[in-house]
Amino acid sequence: MSMEASELQDLSDDADYAASQQQGSASMMRCDSEKRSSSSEHEGAELIYLKDNVAIHPTQFASERISGRLKLTKQDSTLYLSWTPYKGQTSNAKLSEKDRSLYTITAVPFTEVRSIRRHTPALGWQYVIVVLSSGLAFPPLYFYNGGVREFLAMVKQHVFLARSSEDANVFLVNDFQSPLQRTLSSLALPSSLPVASGQSSYPSDGGSSSENQGRTSAGADNRVSQYGVRKQKSHDPTRDLSIHLLEKFSLVTKFARETTTQLFSENNGFGSVDKRWNNQPVHNYPEKLSNIAEEKHHESSHSYPEKEPLYDEEPPIDLVDVPADPLEFNKLSLVWGKPRQPPMGHKEFTAFLDSEGRVVESKALRERVFYGGIEHQLRREVWPFLLGYYAFDSTYAEREYLRAVKKMEYATLKQQWQSISPEQAKRFTKYRERKGLIDKDVVRTDRAFEYYEGDDNLNVNIMRDILLTYSFYNFDLGYCQGMSDYLSPIMFVMEDESESFWCFVALMERVGPNFNRDQNGMHTQLFALSKLVELLDGPLHNYFKQNDCLNYFFCFRWILIQFKREFEYEKTMQLWEVLWTHYLSEHLHLYVCVAILKRCRSKIMGEQMDFDTLLKFINELSGHIDLDSTVRDAEALCICAGENGAASIPPGTPPSLPLDDGILYPQDDDVL
Amino acid sequence: MPSRRRTLLKVIILGDSGVGKTSLMNQYVNKKFSNQYKATIGADFLTKEVQFEDRLFTLQIWDTAGQERFQSLGVAFYRGADCCVLVYDVNSMKSFDNLNNWREEFLIQASPSDPENFPFVLIGNKVDVDGGNSRVVSEKKAKAWCASKGNIPYFETSAKEGTNVEEAFQCIAKNALKSGEEEELYLPDTIDVGTSNQQRSTGCEC
Ligand SMILES: Nc1nc2c(ncn2[C@@H]2O[C@H](COP(=O)(O)OP(=O)(O)OP(=O)(O)O)[C@@H](O)[C@H]2O)c(=O)[nH]1
Ligand SMILES: [Mg+2]
Repeated sequence: MSMEASELQDLSDDADYAASQQQGSASMMRCDSEKRSSSSEHEGAELIYLKDNVAIHPTQFASERISGRLKLTKQDSTLYLSWTPYKGQTSNAKLSEKDRSLYTITAVPFTEVRSIRRHTPALGWQYVIVVLSSGLAFPPLYFYNGGVREFLAMVKQHVFLARSSEDANVFLVNDFQSPLQRTLSSLALPSSLPVASGQSSYPSDGGSSSENQGRTSAGADNRVSQYGVRKQKSHDPTRDLSIHLLEKFSLVTKFARETTTQLFSENNGFGSVDKRWNNQPVHNYPEKLSNIAEEKHHESSHSYPEKEPLYDEEPPIDLVDVPADPLEFNKLSLVWGKPRQPPMGHKEFTAFLDSEGRVVESKALRERVFYGGIEHQLRREVWPFLLGYYAFDSTYAEREYLRAVKKMEYATLKQQWQSISPEQAKRFTKYRERKGLIDKDVVRTDRAFEYYEGDDNLNVNIMRDILLTYSFYNFDLGYCQGMSDYLSPIMFVMEDESESFWCFVALMERVGPNFNRDQNGMHTQLFALSKLVELLDGPLHNYFKQNDCLNYFFCFRWILIQFKREFEYEKTMQLWEVLWTHYLSEHLHLYVCVAILKRCRSKIMGEQMDFDTLLKFINELSGHIDLDSTVRDAEALCICAGENGAASIPPGTPPSLPLDDGILYPQDDDVL
Repeated sequence: MPSRRRTLLKVIILGDSGVGKTSLMNQYVNKKFSNQYKATIGADFLTKEVQFEDRLFTLQIWDTAGQERFQSLGVAFYRGADCCVLVYDVNSMKSFDNLNNWREEFLIQASPSDPENFPFVLIGNKVDVDGGNSRVVSEKKAKAWCASKGNIPYFETSAKEGTNVEEAFQCIAKNALKSGEEEELYLPDTIDVGTSNQQRSTGCEC
């Protein structure tokens, strides 16, 4: 099979996968009456194209789709793309104005667009994915009334659009430009944003009257001057928050305060926990109460308790002034982050169960795990709950029955590939390729770890069987590198093939999108991360922006496999069970990213790291990150960010489950 | 001596998952092979000092993930590359068939100023496997491909045994340097690549 053919094959799979994810779409979007003339009309811009009923699907939940208007405008011979959600779709309760404005695309110049990918599945709606030069991509834009072809034709009239030789559905924008030209054209734009004085240095965004001016494009700020005079009255919620946080020295935002109130009012809130554990040696968090604003270069000297060179090295003296952390991070975690507790033991767990084995208060259980993790022996009993394989309200008997049924189901699934004869395999390229990939990866997964050590290790074979079975169970997703990293600790904990498989299946329900062919799940998370950093550390965000690091690719590995490669085995399991509680947020892992980045902020900015250096630096942090203090920091950041943090993360961002599947996993955490 | 010369040479290693990119890089830079390398996720690079005449260069070798799905990341990593190393496994036809793809993808994503003359080097890895008995891509076939792409230098290596790895990378460094030269008006006519001259394959034709 030639590569071209298999590539096409892959894409059609992709479309199928996307289409298959769209089911339940019977209720078409309401036809929106209240189409306000777009708010972000800039003076002198010529309207080239307008398309109504172009939508974004933040989740797979039909009522959460956001319809809007797609426009192409032209000014000074530059073509701009905008998408504005319609106002007044109040019928969907789950999405606030803020959520929707998060997606607004405000006049992105095509000079910053790298490519447009077209999807025209046989079933379901046509959509396009716009990828920026920075590597970030906007969520798919669904054309409810068709017209992708016309849209592309229109673009083609104004910018150079070339079909990728690799993939007939990818159109490269301005691909004729040499890198030099690109540099020159980007120099022509005033990118000289004032370096983070902490005060917002965001140029005001195009809008005059709009309230939904969420800035969606990460790299798109250079466009500012092209519109000439700007009104300073832009309304960017994140910008306001940064200032707000700066001004409110207290760090307690309105939202955080509300959150705390809730935390305090809980049974096991701060007070009781602290009382319960106050004689534990948990306070290993560096206690120096210093203000980095005064102590600019010394932040890293009290980062992590272990004296790790990567964190502790003083930045060379001749380096630039590092803008202060608007959150005063060090104080922050002292104020907010709670000390870790010892892991939950068997006796304690049993106390959460009623006589028939139901978890009476799943939230209390999750809270307990969140703050202390689980003793290793107990993990195999609790992980299936956290992962959503067992329902919290199931009884002992029901679970036993489930295990038996699932064991048979697993055997049937496994049979599917086991029954493929060599003759059949010869004519089954996709199977052979998958098997080949899996074979190569299982021998490269945690082989230094005892459980998988040595030649002819039985567990390595089981891992292969599970992954291959999974690739039949979810044939559309198939196998992707990184999956074996997820499976490894699960197998080690569950010590049972079928149980491991089903726990893995449950986990993939959440993180599977990380492995989607169009990488959309990853892009969404990287995008959310950039929003969170913007919210929680404006200066660092500006630094990344100025240094071409806004794609956050240096955090790719962190997110793809939830820090599996960053901590030692035991620590990874501890982190995962904390993340899987979804106690404060389903997206705590993103706050963990922010926490680590903030810990290194003065080093990153002080040493003026460029993208390459930063990537290397981040890769080399592996094995040098202290878990407990990082989790505390993440918790603190999550609480501090409050509603604004949650609003920075588009609904449906992995590992969120599609909302209509909520039954699998009770989502009773209304904390955030 | 002109002081503003470039001293960093950026090299990208591409090829299907499992062909041995990470192993090759580590064999060259650290002189060791381990069968415990993990599948690469995202990207990473190693650096190595190389000397040409009296000048020291830093070779920055980028190792990326081989799985197709991760290719969209390439754009961030390929930028500014001076040389691209394509790797296939001589025991896997598919990895060879994919070379065109890798080459094209690189040219699209890195968009070098002169794509026609951008230096590539091809490596056929894992020649040690099964004493060469499971080999499915012949040297002839590989060389024909190289010829069709503008005489790409070709090496056959074993990252496991270290065979020919040094030679391949010397050629890679030399090509990277040459590609950088255009921008800096300085061209060394001889390059001190150390000791060994014997090359098992076509060798470096530059
Ligand atoms: N016999 C033999 N095995 C090799 C050689 N080079 C690599 N391998 C093995 O092939 C497998 C893949 O090697 P890697 O270097 O991890 O491959 P890679 O190209 O980096 O793969 P990705 O990171 O997935 O893109 C490993 O199990 C290596 O031990 C070689 O020259 N000979
Ligand atoms: Mg590798």
